[in-house]
Amino acid sequence: MLELKNITKVYNPGEITEVCVFRDFNLSVEEGAFVSVVGSNGSGKTSLLNIICGSIPIESGSIVVNGQDITREKEFARCRRIGRVYQNPAAGTSPGLTMLENLSLADNKGKAYGLRRGVDRRRREDYRAQLSELGLGLEDKLDVKLGSLSGGQRQAVALLMATMTPIDFLILDEHTAALDPKTAEIIMGLTDRVIREKHLTAIMVTHNLRYAVEYGSRLLMLDRGRAVLDCAGEEKKNLAVDDILSLFNRISIECGN
Amino acid sequence: MKKTMKAVVCLAMCAVLLFALTACGGSKTAVKSIGINQYGEHASLDNCRIGFLQGLKEAGLEEGKDFTVDYQNAGFDDTVNAQIAASFAANNVDMMVAIATPSAVACFSAAEDKDIPVVFSAISDPVSAGLAEGNITGTSDKLPVEAQLDLIRTLQPDAKTIGIIYTTSEANSVSTIAEYQEKAPSYGFTIDAIGVTAQSEVTQAVDTLLSRNVDLLNNLTDNNVVGVLPAILEKTNEAKIPVYGSEVEQVKIGCVAAAGIDYVQLGIQTGKMAARVLKGEITCANLPFETISEYGIYVNSAALAEMGIALPASVAEKAVESNAA
Amino acid sequence: MNVFLDLVAGTLTQGLIYALISYGIFITYKILDFPDLTVDGSFPLGAAVTAVLLTRGAAPWLTLPVAVLIGATAGLCTGLIHVKAGVRDLLAGIITMTALFSINLQLAGSNLTVPRAVDTIFTSRPVMALLGGVPLLYRKLIVSTLLALVIKLILDAYFRTKNGLLLRAVGDNDTLVTTLAVDKGRLKILGLMIANALVALCGCLVCHEQRSFSATMGTGQMVFGLAAVIIGTTIFRRASRVKGTTAAVVGSVIYKAVIQIAISLGLPANLLKLVTAVLFLCILVLGTRQGKGAERRA
Repeated sequence: MLELKNITKVYNPGEITEVCVFRDFNLSVEEGAFVSVVGSNGSGKTSLLNIICGSIPIESGSIVVNGQDITREKEFARCRRIGRVYQNPAAGTSPGLTMLENLSLADNKGKAYGLRRGVDRRRREDYRAQLSELGLGLEDKLDVKLGSLSGGQRQAVALLMATMTPIDFLILDEHTAALDPKTAEIIMGLTDRVIREKHLTAIMVTHNLRYAVEYGSRLLMLDRGRAVLDCAGEEKKNLAVDDILSLFNRISIECGN
Repeated sequence: MKKTMKAVVCLAMCAVLLFALTACGGSKTAVKSIGINQYGEHASLDNCRIGFLQGLKEAGLEEGKDFTVDYQNAGFDDTVNAQIAASFAANNVDMMVAIATPSAVACFSAAEDKDIPVVFSAISDPVSAGLAEGNITGTSDKLPVEAQLDLIRTLQPDAKTIGIIYTTSEANSVSTIAEYQEKAPSYGFTIDAIGVTAQSEVTQAVDTLLSRNVDLLNNLTDNNVVGVLPAILEKTNEAKIPVYGSEVEQVKIGCVAAAGIDYVQLGIQTGKMAARVLKGEITCANLPFETISEYGIYVNSAALAEMGIALPASVAEKAVESNAA
Repeated sequence: MNVFLDLVAGTLTQGLIYALISYGIFITYKILDFPDLTVDGSFPLGAAVTAVLLTRGAAPWLTLPVAVLIGATAGLCTGLIHVKAGVRDLLAGIITMTALFSINLQLAGSNLTVPRAVDTIFTSRPVMALLGGVPLLYRKLIVSTLLALVIKLILDAYFRTKNGLLLRAVGDNDTLVTTLAVDKGRLKILGLMIANALVALCGCLVCHEQRSFSATMGTGQMVFGLAAVIIGTTIFRRASRVKGTTAAVVGSVIYKAVIQIAISLGLPANLLKLVTAVLFLCILVLGTRQGKGAERRA
């Protein structure tokens, strides 16, 4: 259970470029939910994720996870319970390390990074199995440097790494936006499968209205820091792309997009 | 296009290398080989080297017949300095000659293995630099501090405060400052010394000293300070504050006067000592280092006149006019 | 022939001792992507501490761990200034370097020579017992080879640990380190500490080798390290199996060899730097050309 209470976020406070993204914003996400967040540029989608993860400070309000207030926790400390996949496929992996080394690092999340051997050979077969489940032929590339893989392959590995250890939340930050349509489709399918199989609570920001409608249990449309549409359950199932497209167009025009 | 570029680059490199190779000469025979390691190019240090070669000649040794010289200068770079010393050792030179303290320290260390004799020059304090014992000898260029104080007192009977700028990382300067501070009171002076760490700080230090109303500025043989002497003189001339040098080259540039050592003389003295060692008359280990006792008085009458300082006849008769203009 | 061998031995010794700086720069510049100017201060710091300890009669080998510790402290300062006080990387290094200049002067004065009567690691009892019959020049070569090799192996082993992997990742992509729930700031500080410990150790060995400390000996060491690392990695850029530390050693030896060649050619001293620059250009251009050739063949 994630609760955002009375969040206020202002960029460049006191300056001429001051922008208020959220004022007294509230949101709660129940356990096991898969929330898709859509909205035009500047609507606050990415800010929302950054606030949850602690990447940016907030002016007031509190963030509560399972009853525990984490507002004052630093970004890296919050990440213990959060997995995050970024828009940029390079952001979720280390290009200079091999696949095996990357996976070993992710596998150790939450434990001490001490002076023990970085790569546990006994886990190799296990990694191979997890990679082959992705169905991208990555299981043969354990000793290849991540930097030489394609964007889609890297994003798949990043998704695997983000969900390798037990987490409370999976944060997906337009993670298909930088991929070509076919790869995006594959990654989106994989994401949905991983979320189902591992019973994860997920928040996904996307520009793709079809993904928002097709995937997830709840749909949230943001406009200038307010939720203009929030539907779940049966209501969400009956939603069609065209329905939200007209709403989306209307708010986009208001914004001048 | 790319190919021509590459060809041009290659040609340029070849030219530089060829030029470099032509500079390389002198084969090694039975004659004694001398490696001269000079810390950098600098009027006094150059004079010292010229004097050294002259000293060998005066002692009856002929270059090419009795000895060969491999001259290197380190361009004031400590790493290059160490490598030059190491290459002398590897080349089995018969003697290393080191001009300035860092060169002497590097040569003496590199000479340890093969016990090659080291002769140094232009070192203020060989004892504290650890160069007084072992297979090493040479000449010290300790400044004639008392003579300088005496000269200043004669020229400026009413002066009270002497301003001195020095570099805190130059060993010679630090030890000389201590001597000035010790001896100034007996001549009725107080010393206002400002330490700098880089050449860029020197002119600021001048401003500070001028604002504290010093009566005159006095130079040491500090490389950083002497390097920007023209800039110092520009400020002091405007403020009508005389600057005293520590050797003839500074007076030529525009200092009013100096009681200083003649580096060519120092070099000659060093050369004669080296000649005795080369001839086998004595070893460096048995030849203690010498401090030059003679000094010259150098004056720049144009600069003196501008400062309104009269040159007493007692000084004038022994002084050497050193005006470059 | 002997002269030539002696020259080679001397140059190799220089290259191997100074390799410690290039290891350090390899960590800050190549791994952390941090232009660390602390180096110009921590190098003479290591030498200053060593010179003071040796002249006060400390056991020669004791100076090594002391230099490592004090170098790490210098790195810690730069790290704290950068990470905790939020000062830009380049400036943080400059601040520590500037402060160290005064500290070094305070510690050891402008110059401090270690007399011949005092034992250095190259003339210390254990070394003499094993290698007493070997001339000093070659004893220095053997000892510095062993030290450079042992430190290289330790570093290589460290880069394979969990912590080492994480350090490599932080320079590559610090966002990943955050998502792995690790404070990237602390990791950067750690990297700076290791690097400056190595640099100070290098200063310590140089002091043993040259029996002297001078306040200005640090000038240009960061540039040297950078050049050594870039030369090394350029040469091996096609050989992905060659470790970074190996490239750093090779780069350091080549750098020192180039200067030695320039000196041995008897160049007019004023041209020394110019020729050195041209030779480096040759190495770098050749390195890239080889790379291009391999690409075409592939």
